[in-house]
Amino acid sequence: MTSNEIYYSRPIPILTILLVALAVHGPLLLMQLPSGSFDTNFHIFLASHYAHHWFNPWNEKWFAGFSQTTYPPLTHQWIALFSTVTGLKLGYMLVQLIGVLLLPVGVFRFARIWVDDRAASYAALGSIFLGALSFLVYEAGQLATVTSAALYLNALPYFYEWATESSGRALIKGVVLSLTAAAAHHVTLIFGVVFFAGPVFWIACLDARYEHRERSLAGVITRALVFVVLVGIGVGIVLFPYWVTLIQHPIHQIPIPHDSRNNFLLNSITGVNYFLIPYGAMILALPFIFLRGSASPRLRPLLVGFWLSLIFGLGGTTPLPRWLLGRAYEILTFERFTLWATLLAMPIVGLLAVQLLDRYRTKAAVGLAIASVVTIGAALAWITANPYRPAETMDVNPVISFLNRDGHDSYRYLTLGFGSQLAEVSTYTNASSVDGDYNSARLLPEMTQYGSAQLTNAKFYGTAGMASLRAMLEHANRYGLKYIFVHDSYYEPLLTFAGWRQIESFDHGEITAWSKDDVPPAHRIETDAVPPAWMGLLWGTLPVGVSVLAMFLELLLPGRRRARRIIETPVRITDRESHYVA
Amino acid sequence: MRRLLPIILVAVTVLLMVIGLTSVGRSGGTVGIASGSALPGFSSNANTPEQALSNFLIDVQRRNWDRAFASVERTNDSVNEQSFIQEWTGTNGGLRTFSSLESYDARPLHATDSEAQMRVRLHWSTPVGPMEDVRDFHLVHRADQWKVVWDEVPVPNVPSQVIPVNYLRWDLVQGGAGEQWGSNNVDSPHVRIVSMNAVDSAEGAVVMGEIVNEDTIPAFVNVQATLVDAAGSAIDDESSFDKILHVLLPKQVSPYRIDFPKVSLGKVKNVHIDVKATLVPASSDPVIGVMNQKLDTDAQGRAVLHGELLNQSGETVNVPHVIASFYDNNGKVVWVSDGYVQRALLPQESEAFAVEIPKSLAGKVQNFHVVVNQYSMHNS
Amino acid sequence: MSSSINTACTTRKSRIGSEQWCRVLQADVRGDVRQSVRRRGALAFAICAVFLAGMLYAQDTDLRAPSAAVAGTPASIGTTGGGSATFYLVGPSIAIERAVQLGQDIPLTAKELESAGKYIAIVCAGNCRSVGFFVAPAKPVSLAFLVHPSRAPVGESNVVSGVALPFDEFHNLVLTPTSVDFQLTAAGAAPVSHRASTQNGAAWFRTSSGRSAGNLQITASINGVSTRRVVQQVASDPCRLQIKGQRNAKGFVVETEPVRDCTGNPVPDGTIVTFTARDAQGTDTVDAPVKKGIARAQMEGTGPVTISAASGVVMGNELHLGAQ
Repeated sequence: MTSNEIYYSRPIPILTILLVALAVHGPLLLMQLPSGSFDTNFHIFLASHYAHHWFNPWNEKWFAGFSQTTYPPLTHQWIALFSTVTGLKLGYMLVQLIGVLLLPVGVFRFARIWVDDRAASYAALGSIFLGALSFLVYEAGQLATVTSAALYLNALPYFYEWATESSGRALIKGVVLSLTAAAAHHVTLIFGVVFFAGPVFWIACLDARYEHRERSLAGVITRALVFVVLVGIGVGIVLFPYWVTLIQHPIHQIPIPHDSRNNFLLNSITGVNYFLIPYGAMILALPFIFLRGSASPRLRPLLVGFWLSLIFGLGGTTPLPRWLLGRAYEILTFERFTLWATLLAMPIVGLLAVQLLDRYRTKAAVGLAIASVVTIGAALAWITANPYRPAETMDVNPVISFLNRDGHDSYRYLTLGFGSQLAEVSTYTNASSVDGDYNSARLLPEMTQYGSAQLTNAKFYGTAGMASLRAMLEHANRYGLKYIFVHDSYYEPLLTFAGWRQIESFDHGEITAWSKDDVPPAHRIETDAVPPAWMGLLWGTLPVGVSVLAMFLELLLPGRRRARRIIETPVRITDRESHYVA
Repeated sequence: MRRLLPIILVAVTVLLMVIGLTSVGRSGGTVGIASGSALPGFSSNANTPEQALSNFLIDVQRRNWDRAFASVERTNDSVNEQSFIQEWTGTNGGLRTFSSLESYDARPLHATDSEAQMRVRLHWSTPVGPMEDVRDFHLVHRADQWKVVWDEVPVPNVPSQVIPVNYLRWDLVQGGAGEQWGSNNVDSPHVRIVSMNAVDSAEGAVVMGEIVNEDTIPAFVNVQATLVDAAGSAIDDESSFDKILHVLLPKQVSPYRIDFPKVSLGKVKNVHIDVKATLVPASSDPVIGVMNQKLDTDAQGRAVLHGELLNQSGETVNVPHVIASFYDNNGKVVWVSDGYVQRALLPQESEAFAVEIPKSLAGKVQNFHVVVNQYSMHNS
Repeated sequence: MSSSINTACTTRKSRIGSEQWCRVLQADVRGDVRQSVRRRGALAFAICAVFLAGMLYAQDTDLRAPSAAVAGTPASIGTTGGGSATFYLVGPSIAIERAVQLGQDIPLTAKELESAGKYIAIVCAGNCRSVGFFVAPAKPVSLAFLVHPSRAPVGESNVVSGVALPFDEFHNLVLTPTSVDFQLTAAGAAPVSHRASTQNGAAWFRTSSGRSAGNLQITASINGVSTRRVVQQVASDPCRLQIKGQRNAKGFVVETEPVRDCTGNPVPDGTIVTFTARDAQGTDTVDAPVKKGIARAQMEGTGPVTISAASGVVMGNELHLGAQ
């Protein structure tokens, strides 16, 4: 065996994988590449509120007041903590980097449930280059989704270990990590039960039947139930203010269109955006994933989980998500399912990598490297090439200065054509807006009664968006909405005819400020949505507390050395299934 | 299972995609951004006039101009792709240039094996609200496919011309901060409500009337109304929004209308009207004549006031807005209507307009007064 | 000795207000240093006696307020008695404290008396005595002059009003009745003067606008100090709106005679005149601004037409033009 052969036949050390992840994503995050993404400014905005009012989740700066208990706070609170040293933007990048670093670790640990260490290490390495990951981090800015998925992947092996081996440590660590994942993003945990935990439970049952004959299937089921019940109770407690808010103010709003719900076959660009770019070179591996996933009974649960995520990730291309999700279909966006699908596929892709490396050695290594780089490269290039990209960044500092001087912050304001930079303005100004970049927190009827998202992007929602904007402008006096900042001349005719006058222009006319003379100063809008102080206390302690507990448990309760068990090993194409199935 | 499972999964996926290609899987996306066309093999063939027109309008909606232009049958050699695009996207910064085709309803007027006539109601999304456009399309059958006949003659370019401009303008000169107290007081312009009427409509209560600037300086006005019930509590408060001429020149009269959706006048005891007037810089240009106004019934049987706007100045009016007040035989304002004109009003050129009157009121109307509001890109 | 101090303190404490002091003495007397009781007791008695004598003497202190204090002018407050005391002065926008010697005049600087109004002088030496006095404003050196409205239509009665408020150099409103001269000057008219005396610091007038449009200058003067304001007298509503028209190649041109109000003033340029033409084709309307006194509109149509004009709520004559 040559040194090359030895090298290829060994698992890649997890530290090396982490260093690769750091080398790839570290510079991109330090360059603050996600700054221009859709949601980055939104996360920074929420974090900024925690930085100033840790125990008061009522935020007056959007929607004339909304409760931040409508969004799990963990990532935002960590940004707020880091921001005291690094500032908000760098704090965001740090938390995102932690999420990105946790992901290959999670993929490695998750993959080891299904495949051997070598294939798992390739899966982890491959996960660094996933198009879906880059898409979500750098274009969508879905910090919470990525971080939660990474945490959840790290929790699942404990679930498996507890279910199959009845390890108390695994139970504690698994539950606490799951709660941490929920504190980062609840939707990931809810759907993760089906897409991730379902296959793991299935394999635990299979393993109980075939490998651990001394442990009954009933035991596995019972332990799984115990785990689920504990996590359920824990999530209920950790995110208690969230559930209370949700019950008090269910999301009753007209569905808002989202391109991830389009039929990709009929809209080629959405197909590129939500399928081609996130999957990248993995598309070439799809036949292998299906064939190999079907060939082995141990991989079948994973394949089913992958397939279901794949179908959900296709959004409106198939009717299945609409059938299964009902009303929730119109609230969710579906790009996250594609990330989950790619993560679920990684163990099988790891097997493919092993097989290719065993057969073609260096050529395969080069090929896989090129495929990985092309996948992440295409996702990064797509940030500037796609027609859905966030509006070009503009200098919003003059707007912030305007609002913060001469008592202008005693009125509310609105931005038009600012895209995600609305959140940037909101973060740094003292003034309050009637708009906001978070659909689920909206309570004002001018926004919920129309099928439109942010007013700043009203034109992209067509008639519904403009009707919503119009309704808001009609009630400008009611909300003390005096100032409007326009970065898109599209809105100027409406403002002119509705009685606003241009009063200033900034950045060589890129942004214009409009005002209406008869608007009275803003006053607090009465609502029953303001969380009581005790809820703020819970919100400020439990989610971040559970994450700290998870870190302590990882350090204080080291895992046992993994018991040997029969796992999926790479086989040559000529090998028969019977060779590796126990 | 080893061979069956992938086959089942792939088969189910394909089946779901096929179902998804029906209306169940379709969903509205963002408007005004090119979303690409259907993948090869997934677009419907133009085997019927309806399908051909649908394909054409989807391409227009998605701004796939090359495909849309390639699919039309041209009757005039002067039609090129540029003029075709301009016909759909508008020119000169008119309202159409801001508009996006959001949806459409088509119905056949008549059809034979070789040609068909379709009437389409085009629903546009515009900055000032939804707009409808009814348009007839002629389709012909060519080589197993139906094609839309495009016979729109491109609008000839207006030759350059020099128009003398001698307009009046009011500017506001602010005194310095160090000026003596009381030396810079300028009174707000004097404006007055000259008539007010409240009626119930299908959508709710409507308060309307006319307001005049009695001063010698321009006034920026806004009318706010509060409906008060018998107990003295406010039921609702709304403003005239875009149904008023906000900048009133000296002695100019403007209609105003304030809508109170879902409010019945039966509950209303009092209407409190609040007029805010402030001094603003203004220009008396452009002067827009309203020509050939006539009450009539349009092709769809609606009572309308139609006419033409004539731009008598040297400045392009990008978006003209017509507000009309209608009077009964006692001179009382019985209705106020408004409408936007989709094309820009070029200097010395005219454009048609029409505003609707509720059928129930059409018989009462004895007289009307039309004013024109405007948005000009360089004067906003 | 101890009992005598006790008695002295008990009987005097309500008057001298020095209970604390006596308690200290009592504590000392009851202290451990029994040997020096006599000596210390005598000393304490002496101090108490001097103190009480001072208090009694201070009761006779009297303050004399300045008889006619004027803002920005030094003054003094006379005192009687002797010993040192603390002097407090509380007035509008001032509060000071300083040590003074009783029996001497307390000088008040010009700076301390800049604000007119009521002052209270307090002297405390054990107990306190106070006296109030009034500082009158100094001579008026400036006038705040408010005139309303900034624009007034011509020929309206009692439409212009003005209020003058005299202030001294320290921005004190001068309350002493003073005569203010108002002079109204309009182009083409003889100046009009009006004298009014201030009451509680304000003098005012009310007058009608003139018959000619133009600036009305109003000057308020007091003691050689004057302030000027301008009221713009503007033309009133148009009167007798007369129109004429004639055919041309494009249709017909219709224009007004010079538009004037009922007193003959031309209406300001920019005033809107609405021309309405009715013919068989329908109705044409043009909102035309007045330029150089005349509003003009180009209208279309070749058939017989009836034209009317209106400006605001004022209607003009009707004009009939025959077919071209």
